[in-house]
Formats: sequence, structure tokens, C-alpha cells
Amino acid sequence: MTTLYFTEEQRDCLQELVNVAMGQASDKLARYLDTLVHLQVPAIALVETEQLPEHFARRYPQHNASLISLGFFGDQGLRGETIMLYQLENVGVIAQLLGYDDDDSSEAEMLTDISSVLTTTFLNGLAEQLENSFSYAAPRILSSRDQHFVQKLADTASQWQLALQVDIRYQLIDYSFNCDMMLLVPGEAVLQLRQMLNKVLAGF
Amino acid sequence: MQIAGLLQPLLAQLNSGVLVLDAEYRLVFINQFIARRANLVLAEVQGQLLFDVFTDLPRAWLQRKLDSVQELQIPAFSNWEQRQYIFKLPHLRPLSTGSQYMAQNCSIMPLSSADNNAGYICILIEDATDAFVYQQQLHNSMQQLEQANRIDGLTGIFNRRYWQQQLQLELQRATRYQHPLSLLLFDLDKFKQLNDTYGHQGGDAVLMSVSQQIATLLRDTDIFGRYGGEEFGVILPETALSGAMMVANRVCQAIASQTVSYNQQHIAVTLSIGVASFTGQSVDELIQQTDIALYNAKRQGRNCVRAYASEQNYLKKVN
Repeated sequence: MTTLYFTEEQRDCLQELVNVAMGQASDKLARYLDTLVHLQVPAIALVETEQLPEHFARRYPQHNASLISLGFFGDQGLRGETIMLYQLENVGVIAQLLGYDDDDSSEAEMLTDISSVLTTTFLNGLAEQLENSFSYAAPRILSSRDQHFVQKLADTASQWQLALQVDIRYQLIDYSFNCDMMLLVPGEAVLQLRQMLNKVLAGF
Repeated sequence: MQIAGLLQPLLAQLNSGVLVLDAEYRLVFINQFIARRANLVLAEVQGQLLFDVFTDLPRAWLQRKLDSVQELQIPAFSNWEQRQYIFKLPHLRPLSTGSQYMAQNCSIMPLSSADNNAGYICILIEDATDAFVYQQQLHNSMQQLEQANRIDGLTGIFNRRYWQQQLQLELQRATRYQHPLSLLLFDLDKFKQLNDTYGHQGGDAVLMSVSQQIATLLRDTDIFGRYGGEEFGVILPETALSGAMMVANRVCQAIASQTVSYNQQHIAVTLSIGVASFTGQSVDELIQQTDIALYNAKRQGRNCVRAYASEQNYLKKVN
């Protein structure tokens, strides 16, 4: 099996693409929500999938994180899954921000909606940077209040070879909080992604 | 071969609903799946607003979804588990489900036309009624299993495992709120002899009859379980020792005053009952104390009720 490393150049390139995509996403969301939304990506990190559960168990010690998964498929074999992790206490705030506080939507419905808006807005931008386009599977809740999320994460992550961890920071005028997004990509898609990054790098 | 010429027949045959809206949410297209189930004719509804044609949609919710699809050019989804249906459409299993409407998975996707670059929205409806039905059946089975898991097969009252779990919970509750709680343990007197005389079926008949009778003497909040072969327990929440003694005496007298009919015979049954109150003991200690009281009731002639007396009291009495 080919090792799934990225060169420093490829990694920087990916970080740049993620930054641009997140910039576009925050711009779109700000216009859509009519409020100042600033999505920052401090750093991306490539993580061995087997280390993920432990990593996130440390980040969410209360065990009450919600995990929402959304699958994506692009051209040229690029595919994967995104996982959003929220701390449940933030759900109400995000719901309010997205205008969900005035109807009968259940918490589960809000979670999947919010995740799909945030991830697809970002992924569309990323696909565009890679001259690709993604189609999406419906989001699903892997774990919420009733379950222990770390085991679920371990089950999901074990199916993938590479995890790209993207910490997202949401900033609003008077409130900010963190949530995490992970891009999980299978090994053969990593090879495709490397080629795409090389193509982008060659274009500079 | 022209692919384009096949697309209309394909959309007509598709076993999913397809609706296409323009940027103002007017219907541009509905496929046969939708037309037949909603009893609509495309030519008659074309150009009309979605919300005028389908008047009972969850409007605020769907409007927001459509807005996000249009403005952000991203897909939106809805899942039958979270929202059973969006369009009130009939399904094809009308007799075998409790639900009147088709359970739906729905995808809402941005579309742009190749001709004029205008923005459209496609709503795709997938029938998830089967999954819905299976999930309901599963849910019902789980409930039945859960129920069966608590019940003693012979007597129909709680089994020991569940009863003891409840005792643990009630003890925690009593501790937290500083409320009284008492426990009864009772045993059928000379049950072995009864079994020898009338056979095990006779013994079973007695166990069933006695548990049914006792159940009618208890409050809804009392928790009645079969502790062992012919041993039973009652948890009495919110009940101090004096109240528990009254309940125990009532049970003891009621059983002794009647006989159990079995095979044209009348079997006389009596009980011995031990009573103890919760004063901060552990579950095991409380059961042990109640058991000591039961043992005393047996030793002091059976067909009677005895409360647990702590050693301190006992010593006082001796002195």
C-alpha cells in the first residue's frame, strides 16, 4: 500500500484551498443570514484515523458531542465523508443564528440542516478550487445526546484511511464558538487528491 | 440515439417524485409519480406557485429550505425519521401501516438550465414507507420485549431482576428527597407440603391466584415482584413503617380468609410477612432486615406479620 503522506507543498496548498473555500462559505453565509459570520480555519491537520477517537475524546470531555455525517462524491474518484462535531450546548445558538427558533423543527432536524448548510457551502467552494464538483448524500446523525460519541467516531473513522481535521471557528458580532469539521477520505481518493494538488501547484 | 428523447419517459417511469420549481417557486414540472399520487395534471398546475397547489405543506420550514438552496446553491435534505412527510401523498401499503401518508426522504437541489442559465430548484421525493413500517414494527417488538423482560412468566407480576432494579431506584429517590419507604417480603406458608399434596400445577395455581389477589390490594405506586419460588416482595414508596404494617396485615388477612380453587378443591393458603423501613441502609441491608423479620414471622407461628426491630431496640427490650 502506498503511504498516504503529503509533501509540505501539497499540505500548504491544501490549507490554502481550504482557507479560500471557507472564505467563500463565510461570505455566502453572511449574505444569506444577513449577519456578520466569519468562519476561520486556524489550521488543518492530517490525522491518522485510528487516533481520531482519542483526540476528540480529549476535546469533548463531557461526551455530549453530536456527530453529523455527510457523504460527498466528486469526479475523478474524489470522495469522502465529512463529520461535524458540535457541543450540544451550542446547538441552540447555531439554531437561533440560522433562524430555526421560530418553528417546530426537532433538535435532530436542526442539527442535520445546520450541518448540511455549513459543510456543503464549504465543500462546494473546495470542489471549485479543485475544478471539480461534488454531489452529496443526505446528512445523518451518527450520535447525539443518547450515545457515547467516541465509539461511533471510531466505527466511522475505521473505514477511512485519512482524516483531514479542519477546526472551524465561527465568529459573530458578539459571540464565538468552535466546532470541528473532519474530512475523511479513503486511501485511493487521497492519491487522487494529491494529483489534483500537484495540478494546482503546477498552475502557480 | 438521442438521450434527450429518453429523459421524459424515464422521468415518467421513475419510482420517485420529481418536482421542478423556478426561482419564484412556481411549478415548472411534476413527473408522473407526483401527478398520479397528488391527482394533478401537469398542464393545469404549470406556472402556479408551489404553495398554492400544495396548500398543506409546512410552509415556513420549506420556504427556508428553498431559500437556502437558491441563495447558497447547496442541496437541502429532509429525512422521514425527522419529518415523516412533506407532501401529503398516499402510499401503496394503505392497509398494512398505521400512517395515512407516504413517509418520505426528500432532497432539494439547485438546478441551472443549460439554455438560459436561469436558476431552478428540483425537489426529489423518495418513498420511505417500507422503512417507516419496519421501524414501527421494530419499535413495537422492542416494547414487547422490554415488557416481557420485566415480567415473571407464571404470575404476571414483575420478575426479580426488574423488581430489584426498581428497589435500587426507589431507595435513591427516598434518599434524595428524604421520603419514607418500606419493604415487605412474604412467603407462602408450608408451600412444599402444598406442592406435595396438590402437585406442582396446584402449587402454580396458588402462586397465580395469590399474586392476583394481592395486586388488587396494592396502590398503583407500590411495586410488586416475585422474589423467588414462593417468595414475593412489595416496595412501598412514600410509606413509613406504620403504614407498611397496615398494608401487610391487610394482605395477610385477605389471603388467609379465602381459599384457592383448584380442580374442584379448595386450598387454604396463608402467608408470613416481614416488614422493614428504609432508614439509610443499602439495598442489601434492607432486604436482609426484611428477611430477618420474615424469618421471625415464620418462627413465631406463621400467618402473621413481623416488623424488623433493630438490634438496639432489641437490646432495649431485653433489658
